[in-house]
Amino acid sequence: MTTGPASTEDQLREVLDKLASGVQAAPDAYRRVQGEWRRRERKRRITLIVLLVLLFAFADIVGLLALNQYRSRQHTVFNDPVPSRSHSPAAPPRSAGLSSLPTPWGGVPL
Amino acid sequence: MTGIRPNPPLQTLVDSVEASSQAAEEPPAPVPPGADREAALTRLFERHYTGLLRLAVLLGADDGEDIVAEAFCQLHRRWNRLHTVDAALPYLRSVVCNLARMRLRHLQVIRRHPVWSADLERSAESVALLHDDQQALIDALRQLSARQREALVLRYWLGLRESEIAAAMSISCGAVKAHTSRGMAALTKIMQERR
Repeated sequence: MTTGPASTEDQLREVLDKLASGVQAAPDAYRRVQGEWRRRERKRRITLIVLLVLLFAFADIVGLLALNQYRSRQHTVFNDPVPSRSHSPAAPPRSAGLSSLPTPWGGVPL
Repeated sequence: MTGIRPNPPLQTLVDSVEASSQAAEEPPAPVPPGADREAALTRLFERHYTGLLRLAVLLGADDGEDIVAEAFCQLHRRWNRLHTVDAALPYLRSVVCNLARMRLRHLQVIRRHPVWSADLERSAESVALLHDDQQALIDALRQLSARQREALVLRYWLGLRESEIAAAMSISCGAVKAHTSRGMAALTKIMQERR
């Protein structure tokens, strides 16, 4: 009687084959598994749709709140009450101040 | 372990011959998109469901049908990530191995002692042709770790190559060799002590 690794391998192969041959699939296995993966796929899609709807609803709410806050404020684009006058003052009329302005040569202007 | 590949079961031989002939004649088929996914999954189910169920039971899972169903559901969900249709079966094998191992760990934590599949017990009883040596071999197989049992079942029942076993168990080829040789050494030792 051999008890070496080769004998054990052969015995193991034979035992595993015998055990495996005793396992049979249920007749309705395919219908059950197909129903399961279809149910999960439906659940995934519904979850994705709900998440997208929630995202858009959240974005809409945020936008509406922002618009609602800015409605009562004073508009700054077309409601400027005082025109800006940041330019330098215009040159005085020649006739009015020429006599008092100093000249580079220190004399009286002509 | 030797590099000689053991004789695989008939169904595995047919599958491997078909796969090798397809690989030799034409490039790997791309993954059918969308609507063809159901048809491809149906073909996979018809061809490999029973084999995967037997694999789960031989790995010691007590709910082999649930494990294989979960594997097909995960394949359905991740179908678009497959590179080719030929990658589906190794993926299913890998998921079944992982789920069976997780199930065994879960049951061991719950019951605080190693468990063995009730389906396997029923299977062994239904066969009712096991000799004393074979029954002792089953008992010895129960005493191995989950990894060693996986490596032995994938090698001696499915007849997979080391690279295929490594892919199914998500480990390296060296680890496959180590698990296989240690598991077989443990089985041989138990059987020799029994005699």
